[in-house]
Amino acid sequence: MDWTSWLKQFGRYIGVMLLQVFLFDQLQFFGLCHPYIYVLCLLMMPITLRHNADLCIGAVAGLVMDLFSNSLGIHMAACVLIMFVRRYLLSFLINEHDRLNEQISLRAIGLIALLEYTIILVLLHHGLIFLLSAWSWHYIGMVILETLISSIVTVSVIIGFNALRYR
Amino acid sequence: MRTLLKIVQRYSNFLVFLALEVAAFMLISRNNAYPRSSMFSTANSFIAWQYEQISAIGDYFSLQGQNEALSKENAELRNRLSELEAQLTGDSIRYKEGKVVQMTTKKLHNYLTINRGSRDGLVRGQGVINGDGVVGIVRTVGQKYSIVLPLINTHTNLSCRFAKNDYVGILQWDGKDCRFAQLTDVATHIDVQPGDTIVTSGLSSGFPGGIPVGIVENCSRKEGDSYYTIRIRLQVDFKRLRYIEVVQNMNMNELEELRNGLD
Repeated sequence: MDWTSWLKQFGRYIGVMLLQVFLFDQLQFFGLCHPYIYVLCLLMMPITLRHNADLCIGAVAGLVMDLFSNSLGIHMAACVLIMFVRRYLLSFLINEHDRLNEQISLRAIGLIALLEYTIILVLLHHGLIFLLSAWSWHYIGMVILETLISSIVTVSVIIGFNALRYR
Repeated sequence: MRTLLKIVQRYSNFLVFLALEVAAFMLISRNNAYPRSSMFSTANSFIAWQYEQISAIGDYFSLQGQNEALSKENAELRNRLSELEAQLTGDSIRYKEGKVVQMTTKKLHNYLTINRGSRDGLVRGQGVINGDGVVGIVRTVGQKYSIVLPLINTHTNLSCRFAKNDYVGILQWDGKDCRFAQLTDVATHIDVQPGDTIVTSGLSSGFPGGIPVGIVENCSRKEGDSYYTIRIRLQVDFKRLRYIEVVQNMNMNELEELRNGLD
């Protein structure tokens, strides 16, 4: 990938973060729904960099979100985790390695793999965030419900984004 | 040595992953109860400024209601002022008005960011109220902005008392509904009725006594339990909170010193 497409990635990140902070954080609908749509940028990032660099990008993206939500460390932990897992998950989900070129999109990996990939990582990310912010097993029921409801919204946004791009 | 290097090289991804996670967890455990740094939180000038822009947009839609509330409060304040002027007791409490820049109401650990900071004389531990009653306690102070721990945060404990008979209890929040909190440590021999008013006890240096906190919604006791479970309807409507006042007790330092001297 050349630098213009990285610039595009960064532009997308800024756009998604603005949506996250100005729209999705403000809505707080239903009380149990806190979708963190900014993971879209991390999940859709092409796999061209070294794994280490991926992890660091995840850490920075998480820290930025933490600053906006008074939760220093929580988003960082979750983002680093999904950035670590996603390569292994991808090579597990897509058996024919030759089909996996660096891009992650509807066109590149197909709907089923994309759905599985998104759902697993979003559940992991949201689950860890809500568990860490509760910081106690006492609220575990609420945490699970919160994770499920928020993940539905986030996954829909990510799949919707991919569908729009595919068109 | 060479084999060690090889191992490090081979597992470098995992080691970086581990290092970053450890760093994250160190940050979490440090900031567990509340954000400690005004730099790395919503009290950061740049971030708070952005939130200020958002709330400026929201302001347009609630102007009328806010204006009514403000003019009502103004009148009330003027009354109080004239009363105080008549007394001229040399009281040492000042009120600093401010605006809510950002807040959450639906999480377990809600915070609010206000546009007043150390340059306005805010320090940690000062009380925050609005026209209706108690909002919370100042926690992390930046230069221009501060973070307030509101009553609707599961870390908050506030000493309160019944207005009618001065019995003291501790107000806590269970993380469920931002309209209700719980009063604990009230023994069952005390007469508690729905509709009783709960006010600040004046035992903490942040608030003077007698500021409204809430009203008893219902109270129950389990068999064999010697304490009531009391549900309090909070006076402050956190969903519509926009303007606040910080209670600045000029004797706070002295009180704190006395208290530290006791330990």
